[in-house]
Amino acid sequence: MAKKRAGGISRREFVRLTGTGALVAGIGPAFIFPGRAQAQQKTLKILQWSHFVPDYDKWFDGIYTKAWGQKHDTNVMVDHISLNEIPARAAAEVAAQKGHDLVMFLSPPAAYEKQAIDHSEIYQEVEKRHGKKITLAHRSTFNPVTKRYYAFSDSYVPDPGNWRKDLWEAVGYPNGPDSWDDLLDGARKIRKDPKLGNPCGLGLAQELDTSMATRALLWSYGGAEQDEEGNVTINSKATIEALKHMRAIYQDSETPEVFTWDPSSNNRAMLAGKVSYVANAISITRQAEREKATNPMMAEMSKKIMINKALKGPVRRIASEHVMDCYVVWNFAENKEGAKQFLVDYIDNFGEGFKASKYYNFPCFPKTVPDLSQQISNDPTADPPDKYKVLTDVLDWATNIGYPGYCSAGVDEVFNTWVIPTMFAKVAKGDMSPEDSAKAAEAEIKRIFERRKAG
Amino acid sequence: MFYPAMIYVLAVIGLPFALAVVYAFSDIKVGSVGYHFVGLQNFKSILHSATFLRALYDSFIFTVGSQILVLVGSTLLALALEKKFRGRGLVRFLMLLPWVAPVSIGAIGWKWILDSLYSVINWVLVRVPIFHLDKFNPPQWLGEPALAMASVIVVHTWRLLPFSTVILLAGLSAIPKEIPEAAEIDGAGFWRKMFQINIPMLLPILNVALLFGIVFTFTDMTVVYILTRGGPYDTTQVVPSLAFFTGVLGGDLSEGAAISLFMVPILVIVAYLMLRAANRSEVT
Repeated sequence: MAKKRAGGISRREFVRLTGTGALVAGIGPAFIFPGRAQAQQKTLKILQWSHFVPDYDKWFDGIYTKAWGQKHDTNVMVDHISLNEIPARAAAEVAAQKGHDLVMFLSPPAAYEKQAIDHSEIYQEVEKRHGKKITLAHRSTFNPVTKRYYAFSDSYVPDPGNWRKDLWEAVGYPNGPDSWDDLLDGARKIRKDPKLGNPCGLGLAQELDTSMATRALLWSYGGAEQDEEGNVTINSKATIEALKHMRAIYQDSETPEVFTWDPSSNNRAMLAGKVSYVANAISITRQAEREKATNPMMAEMSKKIMINKALKGPVRRIASEHVMDCYVVWNFAENKEGAKQFLVDYIDNFGEGFKASKYYNFPCFPKTVPDLSQQISNDPTADPPDKYKVLTDVLDWATNIGYPGYCSAGVDEVFNTWVIPTMFAKVAKGDMSPEDSAKAAEAEIKRIFERRKAG
Repeated sequence: MFYPAMIYVLAVIGLPFALAVVYAFSDIKVGSVGYHFVGLQNFKSILHSATFLRALYDSFIFTVGSQILVLVGSTLLALALEKKFRGRGLVRFLMLLPWVAPVSIGAIGWKWILDSLYSVINWVLVRVPIFHLDKFNPPQWLGEPALAMASVIVVHTWRLLPFSTVILLAGLSAIPKEIPEAAEIDGAGFWRKMFQINIPMLLPILNVALLFGIVFTFTDMTVVYILTRGGPYDTTQVVPSLAFFTGVLGGDLSEGAAISLFMVPILVIVAYLMLRAANRSEVT
């Protein structure tokens, strides 16, 4: 018989207790948490924005990722955050060297190249199945110096003009503005008409939509922040002319509210019937169409708001993509292979995604939506059904951040610290002359580029 | 109890501060790997940045403007709330709300109050005929540089006022009642009692309230971040928000760290002067 020691337990009791404990520790979690029983099931964590077209997120989270997860025995977790919060979240993940397996940026994340895998392999696999990617995708995710793809782009979003048909018709532009001169002339007439008075809605704030609109104006006048080799070229005659044009647009047709905007403000201003023109993706009209059955104001706006191409400047008709979807697989991702496979398979299903986004996300692999022109030219939810037909030739006038060069880490920082919108805003408000503002922007961009080269 | 407190301070304040110092003397970027010492290069670089100089200027305006309003407002509030009246408890409770509520929630509320499209203030102003406002162009509280700075100052004042008031109320209750009573018997009026008795006796505690207020304001970016994000065109950009925009959003961690370290010597000097003044003004 085992002897019990004073104040303790016998050897036999010890063995029994520890054995039971080990058994409980081993099977306990599986019994208490059945989900953990499938210990080998993989996980794929994705971080992306809350899409401006909510139906897309419903499809992505509820249909596509679920089906993909079941097929690959993977638990796919998708976290959505506001577009403004993505850079801070990405920076935190890199600092912690932990986080999501796939992170989607809305502009080329060149600054993160050293933290990302080379995405060439994904592009190669997708190109085998769906043909060549568009140049815009290449220039937005490729570093010509290191010859690496620091991200993978599945889609981009066009940045057309949104204009109010009733207002523009009233001032002699039944087809809306076609050039920057038309915009100045028509917007001025609308604003000064005592019966109308609506201001123009080109943003001048430190936010995404302003960044895109001001770059479109700059490029269409022949200006650019850098040349093809990455030399700073912002302080040019073309830039100064573009700044003068923006000043005229602001002073003759806008109000100071454009200095306060965030990326959704121009959507709200347009849908509230306040402004005559904004440069934005088709999220505005899509919201009006989605809510027209229950909201009379939206029903009215879905008929009145039209879409046109990027405006033509003295040099060219050009605009930035509005959003460039750029997926990044971190070097430290726990499920790199799953992330790569997910992206490849996602492109196989891009046609569905295109429809779910209500034609918001345009394909970087055009063969995934071979009938794109027909689809957007006859959209039963649009009023008229061919409202989006003007986007058929979007690749003729859409370009990348960093145009005419590539998007480098320096360009990325210039973009994220709002150097270009600030340059335009100071001139528009009259706080700086065009010459001084271009000079100040040049100094800031050179400073950033030099720091990036040194670092 | 000393060691847990010390560990807490080291972990929450000491470690990030040390990290900021290490970063500020390096070329580290948000996506970079490795560490290279670059000496004072980041500090030299930001001194050449017009945006940084503007943010430094704005930080002083923001701090001085809000502290003047906080001091005046909290002194008046403390004097009013010291008196006994019906419902004093409820008023004191309501007065504390801006301080106890999360600052982000309060600031988001103000953002909508001052919004370019849905501002409730503008909704009223446009409908009052005497103002004859253009319905498409009412006052843009966050869109005009001067109005935007005034707005962030007022919102920050709203946030800090309760804290300062509570400190002053504590100070007022510590003033021996015989002194103002004796002065009253000698014929001193309200203003005389205020400027010759209450305020001089409150000076040490006023200094403490001011010191806290300056530190809280100079290092705060929440109100600016939520209301204006530094706009219009950097005219409300303050040093902490610029450090965040440069370091985190712009990805230049070393420059962001250098910008944030600029606040340290300024705050150390302010703290030293304030504490010295508080010592000298102690009522003996």
